Amino acid sequence: METKVVTLHINGRTHQIALPPNRTLLQTLRDLGYTDVKNGCEKGDCGACAVLLNGKPVNSCLVLAWQADGAEIVTNGGLGDQAHPHVIQEAFADAGAIQCGYCTPGMIVSTKALLDRNPHPTDEEIREAISGNLCRCTGYVKIVEAIKLAAERMAAAKEGR
Amino acid sequence: MGLYKSKYTAKPLPPVDLPELRVVGKPLRRVDALAKAVGKTVYAGDFSMPGMLYAKVFRSTVPSARIKRLDVSKARALPGVACVLTAEDLPDGKLVTDIPGQTGQKVRKGSLTSVLARDRVRFVGEPIALVAAETLEIAEKALEMIEIEYEELPGVFDPLEAMKPGAPIVYEPDNIVARWKIRKGDVHAGMAEADLIIENTYRVPFVEHAYLEPEAGVAWVDERGVINIRVSTQVVEHFRSIAKAVGVPQNKIRTIGTMVGGGFGGKEDITVEIFLALLAKHTQRPVKLVYTREESMMSQSKRHPFIITHRTGVKRNGRIVAAEIDLVADSGAYPYLSPYVLLYAVVMATGPYRIPNVRVDGVAVATNNPFTSAFRGFGGPQAAFAYEQQMDAIAEALGMDPMEVRRINYLRTGDTNATGQVIESAAWLEETATRALEALGEKEPDRGSVKIGRGVASYFQSYGRITWLHDTSRAWVGVELDGTVVVRSGVPDLGAGQVNSLAQITAEVLGVPLDQVTVYSTDSALTPLAGTSTATRQLYMSGNAVYQAASAVRKVLLDRASKHFEEDPKDLDMAEGRIFVKHNPEQSISLAEMAQICAAEGLPLSNLALFRAPFTDPLDPENLQGRVFPDFTFGAQAVEVAVDTETGEITLLKSVACHDIGRAINRAAVEGQIEGGSSQGLGYALLEEYVMEEGIPKTVTLSEYLIPTSMDFPPTKAIVLESGSGKGPFGAKGIGEPSLTPAAAAVANAVADAIGVRIHELPITPEKVLEALKRIK
Amino acid sequence: MLPEFELLMPRTLSEALEMLTQAREGVAPIAGGTNLVVDMRGGRHRPSVLVNVAGLEELRGIRRENGHVVIGATTTVAELLEEPLIAEAAPVLWSAARVFANPLVRNRATVGGNLADASPAADTAPPLLVLDAEVQLTSKEGSRWVPLDEFFLGVRQTLRQPDELLTAIRFPVPPSGAVGGFYKLGLRKADAISVASVAVVVEVGEDGTCRKARIAMGAVAPRPIRAYEAEKLLEGRVLTPELVAEAAHLCAEATSPIDDIRASAAYRKHVVEVLARRLLSEERR
Repeated sequence: METKVVTLHINGRTHQIALPPNRTLLQTLRDLGYTDVKNGCEKGDCGACAVLLNGKPVNSCLVLAWQADGAEIVTNGGLGDQAHPHVIQEAFADAGAIQCGYCTPGMIVSTKALLDRNPHPTDEEIREAISGNLCRCTGYVKIVEAIKLAAERMAAAKEGR
Repeated sequence: MGLYKSKYTAKPLPPVDLPELRVVGKPLRRVDALAKAVGKTVYAGDFSMPGMLYAKVFRSTVPSARIKRLDVSKARALPGVACVLTAEDLPDGKLVTDIPGQTGQKVRKGSLTSVLARDRVRFVGEPIALVAAETLEIAEKALEMIEIEYEELPGVFDPLEAMKPGAPIVYEPDNIVARWKIRKGDVHAGMAEADLIIENTYRVPFVEHAYLEPEAGVAWVDERGVINIRVSTQVVEHFRSIAKAVGVPQNKIRTIGTMVGGGFGGKEDITVEIFLALLAKHTQRPVKLVYTREESMMSQSKRHPFIITHRTGVKRNGRIVAAEIDLVADSGAYPYLSPYVLLYAVVMATGPYRIPNVRVDGVAVATNNPFTSAFRGFGGPQAAFAYEQQMDAIAEALGMDPMEVRRINYLRTGDTNATGQVIESAAWLEETATRALEALGEKEPDRGSVKIGRGVASYFQSYGRITWLHDTSRAWVGVELDGTVVVRSGVPDLGAGQVNSLAQITAEVLGVPLDQVTVYSTDSALTPLAGTSTATRQLYMSGNAVYQAASAVRKVLLDRASKHFEEDPKDLDMAEGRIFVKHNPEQSISLAEMAQICAAEGLPLSNLALFRAPFTDPLDPENLQGRVFPDFTFGAQAVEVAVDTETGEITLLKSVACHDIGRAINRAAVEGQIEGGSSQGLGYALLEEYVMEEGIPKTVTLSEYLIPTSMDFPPTKAIVLESGSGKGPFGAKGIGEPSLTPAAAAVANAVADAIGVRIHELPITPEKVLEALKRIK
Repeated sequence: MLPEFELLMPRTLSEALEMLTQAREGVAPIAGGTNLVVDMRGGRHRPSVLVNVAGLEELRGIRRENGHVVIGATTTVAELLEEPLIAEAAPVLWSAARVFANPLVRNRATVGGNLADASPAADTAPPLLVLDAEVQLTSKEGSRWVPLDEFFLGVRQTLRQPDELLTAIRFPVPPSGAVGGFYKLGLRKADAISVASVAVVVEVGEDGTCRKARIAMGAVAPRPIRAYEAEKLLEGRVLTPELVAEAAHLCAEATSPIDDIRASAAYRKHVVEVLARRLLSEERR
């Protein structure tokens, strides 16, 4: 298989790498060290590999890396780190929304996309927005609470409170 | 059917005196939470090493066959392939899948499973060969080049068929894997005394754990010649079985457990460890093995399907006088933990009820289905699905309120259960059930063809291992010279907050803020062995071990401080990193200063503690009379459902779970267990079935095997009661497994309440609802 | 790992069509990949050449044109939801988009891909069938519009030739009196494959007679199907409960479902009748 040099802008860093055509974006991200992007099924069934691709949350396991050539990609790890967590990440930790943590990065990516477009979602809208992200530990109860908490904190920050 | 009243009132709680604590009980942010939130936690599959090889497993595609020919030469010759191993390469590669002697069962030939199948395969997915290659792509290509010819043999796929004479034998001498019996009182006399005998048969299917993280690990041989295995596991103590299977001394295997991306019992048995150890040993290079989702589903254990028949003798006044219960479990192709799971189901089979005359017969049967083993609840949810529907069936037959029938028969503290074990802790059965029902509020009215029903299920579920397994846990706690604290414990963290609980207990005992405690965990070589993260045992066992170790350090510090302040140690306390005089808190010293004083004087600032559960002798498997478990958790779940009687669709409207957890160590974590356990139980009720057709699995992806999404169920409201009566630290009980147990039975009861006919089989699909409705038309 | 394949990255539609023509056997277009990547991984589909059509400008966008709504083939299902024109002109399609897989998949899955994949359970098919949609098949030689109902041949079989690309979907803007609905019965409340689905659009005159009826069903036959007999029965008559029940029965009669892990054929036949009756009854009001 012929390789091709693909340019990926990931979490603000630019990577140029030669890849054969059968590499998914998920594999590519993990091989580059973005292991916060989790592999749960490789069939688009679980959402653990969700990333923002040009601002939209997608299953990176279903995107061929070549198709992402030139794209802006944000993973959960690109939103914040332990020293400077993103408000959503902090809300997940505070609300007890994290148990095993394996679904968390994808869940936070879907949350980011939701709150970007809808800063004050209802419970129903929250549940809808994360319905492609499976969680086997929490029953989603504290995840929904965390997303509401994040929305509140973001609104408060906006109002300068 | 309208069995239930439209409103219930909670039974008042007996007075409980729980001391106020500083750290324990608070819903603090877990110590592992932020790293997981930002994606920093390095899970088993996230770890890589220089020069690492990638492994794949070649597996059987047929459920029952003799291997006529296996040729790996082409795969071996493929450039980039470092190693291909078959049974020929590991003549002693046996894995013990049962622990004979501990279960009181005979030693069975099938208990010793070949790590790689030599000449016979017994289920689809059985490992036959291992490949390690420079890249994953080459390893996958090598798998395709392995040639195999099978001579297919008749298989048996139904446990009832497997018990019949002439059935294909899965392994010698027969298909009976384990039997347990309870004989209490005189069941014939009891039945004779009964006004009414109610008989029903209940069935539950194979169920998949479906943790989000597939099995994964990396192994390497270090400069000492030790094979290190960094793996997602519930049991680091497997290093012993791994050593045996690989043929090295036990001190040459080290298991480093990672944060587990969900276990639920599925990572209780060995997964990738032996394969990795063998390949690392043979290649002397680091090796990584990560299962695909399909492989994870096909190769690992399932929850046991059971067929459970209840014959219950009751008096007109609602009193149960006799119970005869038969249980048949499908143990699949190898025993693994089937004897134990069956034991749990047998012990729990009567439910939390006082029944004077009991006969229980349980049998686990080998088939050519996937092997079945541990899954959160460990036989308890299967038993509860049967006994709690039976309670509603009794109520219906007697024309009584289901809550009233339960109330009359509930176990109380001081009573004995079916095995004659005395219930020592609080048994808040009525308290939990009435609270759950009360919290449902007013029942919604029917909407045309959509019928509304509600149901409750009580349960009891053990925490801690079987007492004749002589369970222990060790923990090490030490104070550093700056007043920070280190805990070392072999506990695997499955995501339930096992590590955090130990940190919170230590912080409480040593009076430091939670962020001053660092926990090193899950290393078979460097952390004191804490035993398995299974059986709802870690808070009880390792919580107590840590409590003991921290208390010993606290004593050293307070004894020395008492000299310093010239006060009695009992007049001193520790909080916020300081030791102070209780009646004059201004008089204080920092933990750091006191630690330095102790260090200078050679006083021990650390302690290694060993906690022992109660030890008993094995019981007679012919009657099982005596203690089986350290203690039990009690609770209940109530739900309200809407059933569309035209399409059969079921919508869960409300769900409330109330459990007496003894004492909450971290309230948010307790609620998280209850909410998540409930979700798994509700999935068990309505969605989940691992479908097998003649030994071929049909649901090996997450689009075919359906677990709940965020849209399926409303939040389960968690009502947390604290009796303080548990055997864990601060009076805690366990909640990991119990949280799942009652859900499916509650849903089944609610569906029956809604449509007037009982569905005896899980999952309760729309199609089964319509079939049931046809029966009454 | 995905099997090996060649991946061609055209920059224009004409390049893509040229590539489809030139390619050996086993060529397949790829857009969102939500079916194709899964099928390749599961070994169900092993194309040797993929032509990436995801970024092609010519295949994008939703527009109103000559009394039609025209949807570019690589319009994602999420874009259907975001486009007011769909919500206004074709709520039946919007409803289907809302229960299509899950939000992550909807951001990649394309309408053209969903139709070209020709799964019997394709969720956009029943609503597009009741909208009298046509699909545009384009090759180097030119374009043809094919009624969607003729496009589907069987399980994963369509009229599309290997050198053709499904480039657009169009349907006449329904008159303002047209009302419709879609119901998907799956085994869970999100991200489920249809056990059965029904889409309905009816136009009812001032006098209460049904001028036009369209009913389509998913997952109850080798391909998404129309219920012609039921439609015929309704047209020109007043939608009484009795008539609706009879039509719903004819819907069930039109099906030829299978048993699978999700449901039995008998259940599908039964439930499709219930769903059709309910959707038609709602429109009666």
